[in-house]
Amino acid sequence: MIIAQTTLDQLTPGQRARVKRIAGKGAVRRRLMDMGVIRGVEIEVVKVAPMGDPIEYLLRGYHLSLRRSEAQMIEIEDR
Amino acid sequence: MPLSFTIALAGNPNVGKSTIFNALTGTRQHVGNWPGKTVEKKEGTTRINDYEIVVVDLPGTYSLTAYSLEEVIARDFIVNEKPSMVVAVVDASNPERNLYLVAQLLELEVPVIVALNMSDVAHSRGLKIDAQELSKRLGGIPVVETIGNRSVGIDKLKRAIFELATREHPGIVPQIAYGDPLEAEIDALQAEIEQDELLSQTYHPRWLAIKLLEEDEDVTGRLAAGDHETVLLTARQAAQRILDCTGEDAETLIANRRYMFIGDVVSGAVVRPTTAVETRSDKIDKVVTHRVWGVPIFLLLMWILFQFTANVSTPLLDWIGGVVNGPITRWALAILDTLGVEGTWLAALVVDGIIAGVGGVLIFVPVLLFLYLAVAVLEDSGYMARAAFVMDRVMRLMGLHGKSFMPMMVGFGCTVPAVYATRALENEDDRKLTAFLTTFMSCGARLPVYVVFGAAFFGDKAGNLTFAMYVLGIATALFTGFVIKRIVYRNKPPQPFVLELPPYRLPTPTSVWLQVWENISEFLQKATTVILACSIVIWLLLALPINGDADSFNNVQPQDSVFGSLAGTIAPVFGPAGFDSWRTTGALISGFIAKEVVVGTMNQVYVGEAASSTPGEADKTNPFRDDVGEIVTGFGDAVILTAQEIVNIVPRTVNIIPGVHIPEADWLNQQEEKVGSSRLEGALVAAFERTAGSPDKGRLAAVAFNVFVLLYVPCMTAVAAMRQEFGTRWMAYQIVYTAGIAWLAAVIVYQGGLLLGLG
Repeated sequence: MIIAQTTLDQLTPGQRARVKRIAGKGAVRRRLMDMGVIRGVEIEVVKVAPMGDPIEYLLRGYHLSLRRSEAQMIEIEDR
Repeated sequence: MPLSFTIALAGNPNVGKSTIFNALTGTRQHVGNWPGKTVEKKEGTTRINDYEIVVVDLPGTYSLTAYSLEEVIARDFIVNEKPSMVVAVVDASNPERNLYLVAQLLELEVPVIVALNMSDVAHSRGLKIDAQELSKRLGGIPVVETIGNRSVGIDKLKRAIFELATREHPGIVPQIAYGDPLEAEIDALQAEIEQDELLSQTYHPRWLAIKLLEEDEDVTGRLAAGDHETVLLTARQAAQRILDCTGEDAETLIANRRYMFIGDVVSGAVVRPTTAVETRSDKIDKVVTHRVWGVPIFLLLMWILFQFTANVSTPLLDWIGGVVNGPITRWALAILDTLGVEGTWLAALVVDGIIAGVGGVLIFVPVLLFLYLAVAVLEDSGYMARAAFVMDRVMRLMGLHGKSFMPMMVGFGCTVPAVYATRALENEDDRKLTAFLTTFMSCGARLPVYVVFGAAFFGDKAGNLTFAMYVLGIATALFTGFVIKRIVYRNKPPQPFVLELPPYRLPTPTSVWLQVWENISEFLQKATTVILACSIVIWLLLALPINGDADSFNNVQPQDSVFGSLAGTIAPVFGPAGFDSWRTTGALISGFIAKEVVVGTMNQVYVGEAASSTPGEADKTNPFRDDVGEIVTGFGDAVILTAQEIVNIVPRTVNIIPGVHIPEADWLNQQEEKVGSSRLEGALVAAFERTAGSPDKGRLAAVAFNVFVLLYVPCMTAVAAMRQEFGTRWMAYQIVYTAGIAWLAAVIVYQGGLLLGLG
């Protein structure tokens, strides 16, 4: 059975969530972890770029921009 | 204790690492590349008491993984060169993510000093950091508060460096505890590594054990090559056990533990404001990356940047050109005169080869000056990251990064600064691809060709040809980007876009100027050789006679020279494109020196006008004093005109709006002089008609020729820039590809036109 996982890209500006895990592997996943996207960290959506992608997030007191495809790799806890 | 030692400077991007580097070393610095890499390496020296300290600026990185070239360079330097210590520059307003790098430095078991930078900014955002407490929680490593751009805390930092270096017992570097079951596996693996003498001498055993469990590609690759299969096997088994036991891979667990360690450190030493204050940076950002205004603001800034590189730099460029071709050439001739070698091949080599070549390098200095000024301001202010944020969606279509837009835009002015502008991109592949595509953005020097041909063959519809060429250039870039992404980079794993949006800052003049100066002096050092060699070779080809009088070295008509016969030999290649005369081919060859030369050469070969009037014949009473006067007043005029061009950005920008017209400033009353080229136009129409066979075919061939000029090999300076940035192989790829696609496109245009009945 496949349960649709809530991922970070589904949030809208102003919403926050805690990270559950990062799917996938390789350079993108590693870079996300290095930037502090790890289990338990709280991330807030700040805004979406004029053309709908990428998206600006706020975590650990700094601003991070991720492409939608990258945000899709980040699974978040359901509120 | 030696009186000299080496320290390394590490830190995340955008934390003011270069301001600390500059404050430490002042002007005693040297910029080069890391051996065999295109990544910039900065080295400088500083004196503390009697010690001469070499400071190596490591590339700015967030981490020390094997996934990025910069990170591998940084950690290789620490592992192999074993600096006495690493000064980690930490952004005080963003301690958590910054300390992640510090945690990895500690794993390398190198002595670390933390420079807590920009503490003023942190204070203004309501962050309170207790440096002493931070030091205590980091196991006693020194923590010094600094404000790099104002040189605050630099003396304290120097004292800390001195104390740590001269300490009898270096002290224990704190270790991060990874908890169960990782710790046991690390210990076991470490023990096995310690058995291997070679391994434990090269690496710190614990660090190596951690890297092996993380399955670090670089380290495992090196061990596999070094025949350490048993250690690798043990590591793989251990990693598997960890995965089985915890359900998570070691890489994730280790990253989590590092952040837990940091959480502990920060929790007792940093007090965050209870409510987030909206900073000035946030307010600026709301406007600059606004849903509606974001793109127009971006385009406006790029337009201004383009104006700076394309128009504002022109007066100084003309001035340098004038000085080199006028006074300097006259002086050289005068000196050669007194040596009694005037009129010989030696004089010609000096004037037409060497001085022309050096002049060719120097005229790019104003262009690059304005480019680097603008780029340094965009970069230091924090806007560059926003530009990438706003434009990423569009650029991704070409397989590029949001930051690629800026170099492409600069490319419409000049390809040379465009190639250097790719330095704003972090990823090597993105940089290469972007630089590769900038040459298809039709540069300013190619424009005169379209204008002359447009007027000659299309009369009052001349503008259409120019417009079509710009569109074709962009289309070719799109096509090439698409092909390279789908075919050449097909098997490359996706590169992270993951981009920090740093807070906006006011750029400091010192930092901006240092960047401008470094980049320009590097250009002068590196580009000169290639450009000088090219112009000497071209001169030689033109001077060597092959037909007619064999003794007339340096005194031949172009068609009798090696150059002419070379052009004649190549010419048939352009048969399918309809313009296979030695004259057009010659113009194309000389276009390799600089695209500006194409029209000049055509004037020479079609109209027979001696374009190069021999200088030095003016009957002046005191030529030297007049020349100096000319240089000085010329410079004064150039400065005034530069200011005028900056002012003129406003009318040029506003005039884009249809129906609006603000006159441009013309302070020195220099009306645009129209170049009288009607004779050339007539000669061109006749010549193309003759070669192709009929007026319609001639026109088609002319369009094909313009297509070729648009797409073929950029000028030698651009080629030299490519070589400097990406190496000889990439330069060769570019020459072959541009020549190939230009020929193909020209043939398609001509033959396609014939098929459609246009000829």
